[in-house]
Amino acid sequence: MTEVSEETSTSPAPAPGRSRGRRRGSGLSEVALARVFVTPAILLMALVALFPVVYAAVLSMQDYTRRTHQGFAGFDNYVQALGDGRFWDSLVFTFVFTVTSVAFEFVIGLGFALLMNQAFRGRGITRAAILVPWVIPTVIAAQMWFFMFNVTPGFINTVFGLGNFNWLGQGGWAAFAVVFADVWKTSPFVALLLLAGLQTIPGELYESARVDGASMFQRFWLVTLPLLKPAILVALLFRTVEALRVYDLPQVMTGGAFGTESLSILVQQYVVQTPDPGYGAALSTLTFILVLGVGMIFVKMLGKELVLGGEQ
Amino acid sequence: MAKESGPVERRTRAQIWGKSVMLGLILFWCLFPFLWLIMTSLKIGDRALNSPNLFQGPFGIQNYVAVFDQDFHLNLRNSLAVAGMTTILCVIVGSLAAYALARLPLKRKMLLLGGVLSVSLFPPVALVPPLYEAWRALGLLNTWEGLYIPYTSFTLPLTIFILTTFFAAIPKELEESAKVDGATPFQAFWRIIFPLAAPGVFAAAIIIFVQAWNEFLLASTFAPRNAEVAQTVPVAIAAFTGAVEFQRPIGTITAACVVVTIPMIIMALIFQRRIVAGLTAGAVKG
Repeated sequence: MTEVSEETSTSPAPAPGRSRGRRRGSGLSEVALARVFVTPAILLMALVALFPVVYAAVLSMQDYTRRTHQGFAGFDNYVQALGDGRFWDSLVFTFVFTVTSVAFEFVIGLGFALLMNQAFRGRGITRAAILVPWVIPTVIAAQMWFFMFNVTPGFINTVFGLGNFNWLGQGGWAAFAVVFADVWKTSPFVALLLLAGLQTIPGELYESARVDGASMFQRFWLVTLPLLKPAILVALLFRTVEALRVYDLPQVMTGGAFGTESLSILVQQYVVQTPDPGYGAALSTLTFILVLGVGMIFVKMLGKELVLGGEQ
Repeated sequence: MAKESGPVERRTRAQIWGKSVMLGLILFWCLFPFLWLIMTSLKIGDRALNSPNLFQGPFGIQNYVAVFDQDFHLNLRNSLAVAGMTTILCVIVGSLAAYALARLPLKRKMLLLGGVLSVSLFPPVALVPPLYEAWRALGLLNTWEGLYIPYTSFTLPLTIFILTTFFAAIPKELEESAKVDGATPFQAFWRIIFPLAAPGVFAAAIIIFVQAWNEFLLASTFAPRNAEVAQTVPVAIAAFTGAVEFQRPIGTITAACVVVTIPMIIMALIFQRRIVAGLTAGAVKG
């Protein structure tokens, strides 16, 4: 990143050599124009995304009592975090939430996408409807499902005849409710991404598989899935990284109680409620390393395809 | 779940019915909770509001009146301003960068795209402690700027991915003929390519707007209170309190949710093709 910003933020001097960069008439050459065009984006991303991460690393090495700086702390904040049961609890919840919600969203999303891909009537309406959960703010989805799961008015309990079952007030089920709300909101979005992938698979492939005597299941397993793999991986990458950041749903539905405190909620606690910039920054740095690490594993799996896609 | 193979294939009546039922299931999944929301928001009085029966009356618009008594119009104004500014900044900065990445000769393009990708993987919470300290020092807490500046840099990667795809799809010959006619590279971009990419830019703008409008983590940390200043809609909806403490006012909250959701759903329906094109361009390519 830094190398690039140095290279691209140099003043728009006409680049020597390269035939495409030569001046024609007046105005900037293409090479110079390219540099001028990418500079604001790089600066903005570096300033508000890269700088804070570095600053957080610095903050995490400091000792604070509330907001008063006490001195250099070295790795004390990290030691404290790794020995903090609350940190591990939120880590476990975040991982359980991520794995279960992404798994369900993938299965349901794939089902929706397969249905929509072969439907011939009502496809337009369905595709429009599928945008509704996406466009609704997560906070609104959270409030909605809070009330639906809540004992009063007890809508879900009534539908399933569960009496006064307290979904949101006990460990395990509270997490279930949060995962459920996320699956409701995001499965349609996953379906949309997978549908786009499905539509790039040529119909002749299925035709020839059918001629060769492949069963329905074989066609799905041997034709659809392998060809859909890039779309699946991209959808999983973005969903996983998003799920690891989860904040809105548990914050609004349970306030992080009953084993639903995510890493994001925990970090946010140490910024506003019980301010400790040093400890909060240590937690946020740990979260950052974790999420970026998981993201990088996906990117490695996808290979250059992911980045090259944007260029061609 | 047979794969459709071509228009020639014969379909039985039962299959058509089966598929329609399945599509109905998707519609139910997506729309039913919203129906519940609207019905609940129209109920009046504790008895109706605490009843699980969707059609338990009486009904009326009192909840909506209560919402705007709580300065909700100011929250709407803040959200509009913040999301609007984010959209404008993102579109300007993002389309310049995307054009350079899609069309112009640029060294280390791969490295740059890799950097953009890694920013898109950033967990926003990593910024919360350091930005909170920085904003406190700069006096940017509880301001519109304090929100739309980080929103812009967070949404830039997605914007760049979407727009790079759209710019790359425009035939190269158009620029080349413009240059033959004596246009500078900037004129080629501004006069020829940018207008042609307008549908893509518009799609990106809608998606940016929706994301900025819905953001909650930074908004609730940097501007948690005061609708007069910068509290946004999601923060207000999460923070509505009732007359009785520890009891969420279901009527007011659901009414506020409907007020916010209906315009967004209408927008999603009107521009559905553009949004779908933008979302898939951003993710499948990005």
